[in-house]
Amino acid sequence: MSRTVLICDDAIFMRTMVGDILQQAGFEIVGEAETGVQAVEKYKHLRPDLVTMDIVMPDMGGIDAVREITKHDPTARILMCSAMGQQALVVEAIQAGAKDFVVKPFQPSRVLEAVTRVLAA
Amino acid sequence: MDQSRYAELFRTESREHLAEIDAAVLALEQSGDMTHVATLFRSTHTIKGMAGAMGYGEVERISHSLETLLDLLRAGTQSLDPDAIALLFDGSDALRHALETVREGPPTHVSPAVQRLLDRLAARADAGAPGDLHAASNALSTVPVHPTSDLSPRSGTAIAPESLALDADHLEIFGALAATPAPIGEVRIVDVRLTADCPLKGVRAMLVLTRLRALGVVKSTEPTQHAWQEERFDGTFAITLHTDSDDARLEASVRAAGDVARVAVRGPDVARRSSGHETMRTVRIDLRRLDTLLDLVGELVITRDRLLREADVAVENGADRALARIAHDTARLVSALQDEVLQARMVPVGQVFDRFPRLVRDLARDLGKDVRFTTEGREIELDRSLLEAIGDPILHLLRNALDHGIEDAETRRAAGKPATGQLVLRAGRDRASVVLQVEDDGRGIDRAAILARAQAEGVVDPDLIRLDDDRLLQVLAHAGFSTARAVTSISGRGVGVDVVMTRVRSLGGALEVETLEGQGTVFTLRLPATLAFLRALLVQVEGECYALPAAHVIEVLDFTPGMIVTSLAREWITLRDETLPVVRLRDRFGCARTEEEAFVVVVESSDRRTALLVDGLHTQQDIVVKALDVVRGSAPLFTGATVLGDGTPALIVDVGSLG
Repeated sequence: MSRTVLICDDAIFMRTMVGDILQQAGFEIVGEAETGVQAVEKYKHLRPDLVTMDIVMPDMGGIDAVREITKHDPTARILMCSAMGQQALVVEAIQAGAKDFVVKPFQPSRVLEAVTRVLAA
Repeated sequence: MDQSRYAELFRTESREHLAEIDAAVLALEQSGDMTHVATLFRSTHTIKGMAGAMGYGEVERISHSLETLLDLLRAGTQSLDPDAIALLFDGSDALRHALETVREGPPTHVSPAVQRLLDRLAARADAGAPGDLHAASNALSTVPVHPTSDLSPRSGTAIAPESLALDADHLEIFGALAATPAPIGEVRIVDVRLTADCPLKGVRAMLVLTRLRALGVVKSTEPTQHAWQEERFDGTFAITLHTDSDDARLEASVRAAGDVARVAVRGPDVARRSSGHETMRTVRIDLRRLDTLLDLVGELVITRDRLLREADVAVENGADRALARIAHDTARLVSALQDEVLQARMVPVGQVFDRFPRLVRDLARDLGKDVRFTTEGREIELDRSLLEAIGDPILHLLRNALDHGIEDAETRRAAGKPATGQLVLRAGRDRASVVLQVEDDGRGIDRAAILARAQAEGVVDPDLIRLDDDRLLQVLAHAGFSTARAVTSISGRGVGVDVVMTRVRSLGGALEVETLEGQGTVFTLRLPATLAFLRALLVQVEGECYALPAAHVIEVLDFTPGMIVTSLAREWITLRDETLPVVRLRDRFGCARTEEEAFVVVVESSDRRTALLVDGLHTQQDIVVKALDVVRGSAPLFTGATVLGDGTPALIVDVGSLG
């Protein structure tokens, strides 16, 4: 059975890109979220194997969403999607419970490597 | 190994020693600290030994005479006066010249110029000796002066500052051990090097640390975690911990953290093998081989991308998935190979910085100026092809600063400044870029004079009241303008800035200037750390493919004409809370406006964001940069060109020029 993924990003472009990369690698995209609030709700509802989380989103950012999700499920596997130069925010996200990160613009091989690490951890 | 290979080794190695000699003479002149004499002696002695083995008589004679003088200085028989310093400088120049034009021949065979120098050295040595012959002979007996035939290149280099460093390392670690209470498990030190293109190295290092914390008690990190967080390290670090886990487990765990190029686990009794100054086992490689290797890897990277694409197509058409897996495995290996090759080409900027102290000193003397020159960040690494290419631009900027920036002592005092001017050459990292700065505390650039001149020449709008830093740079870099003599005499600056700008751009970098009248000027060069490969987002405009360097790309959005607001005769797009100027690439590339623009690419360059409109988006990929011969004075829109996996050419857009 393929692994399930919830993609959280406010940009359609980014969601599509991440979705394509993961789908091609055999993942099943079970949901998408445009805001942090949606991300938390959908996580509780869908219980995906993996979450990809943008940092900057309207209506609760990615880091707070990570906090909420790990509070609810400490085993949640969350991969942060960061832009260049968001060093401090990524550190914060990892302290909040995210397992790894990738940096935009995305490179498919890097995304898949990170996903493999997160799922193996 | 044949003689020519030895000759090559001899040249590279003696150049390094010459650089050390230059630095030491300068330091000696400035501080009078006699420890530099020991360094000088060691380097000169090594060159002498190698030259003897190679049969280069002239080099051997010069180094021998220098050595004699150094020996007398060291013994205190000769005093360190300006004449001695001058002799040492002239000696190192003569050595350099002799090394560049090495001639085989018996030691007696020297050019007239060198003979004059040797006579001066001999006269000086004689002048000092008679006063205290005993001391001189004593000194000689304490220094092992080998007959030159004993000194093969190998034994010549074996004088071992490295082994001293190792001993110091031992002591430090034992000391630290003695101070810690009885630990659980063993002390292991994990040396890690992250891949060259690893983004956010500090965060990655933190992930490595988190993993090791699960296996033991972490005692310390080198550099500190603070340095990680500020990205003030080059991706190489060491973590010391007490642990019950075996080395294989530690290593596997670190590798699993991702972006790890190399891991080695050692005990505290084994000296570090990969500190900032590598004492790792090394082998010298001909630079041409390194270049060939890079070219081949470049081709391989292009082929990799094609292979991946074709494999995907084949699988979609029903081929076995095994094919795709093999293609992906190959791709991963090629990426790893690419990392290693790029890493092998990285050299610390110190290698180029070493050339400048002497040049600055000589130039400052010629100009009659009192200047203190310092360098910072010598350990920052840069691809060696870039390193070679930046020497001249930096020299231009240093010359400008000395000639036009820094005032003479009298003027400085009158302005209430210290009589000695400060000139700093600095290297640092900023994201994927290396930043080089030339900073002086001189008079600054006279904006008003430049503006007046620029307006008279029609280079800028006659209504402009003041030149900001960006406009100032544009004016200075304007080819026809900067060569105008009048500018130089009015305000200084200008000469050479266009040359610097052209060079820096052709390397895929950017130039910036900041100046404050009366207080000084900073020129900043931003360069990619590696030249050969560039991660790029490929975009489409009017059917043609263009590459945007990924380091500049912030985000990509769908475009709808409704997003555009026109104000102050410009188009703008508001994204979240930020209003960005719009640049339609169709306009810039001279294509007609159509309805085809479909995407907004937000790019950032020198802290400025711009929204680019493009027709279409392709993938991101590694591209191999080929230099572009831009006609000077033509619109510098592109920094280079590349050939894509399917063979189509694409131009690389100079994001910095679009703003």
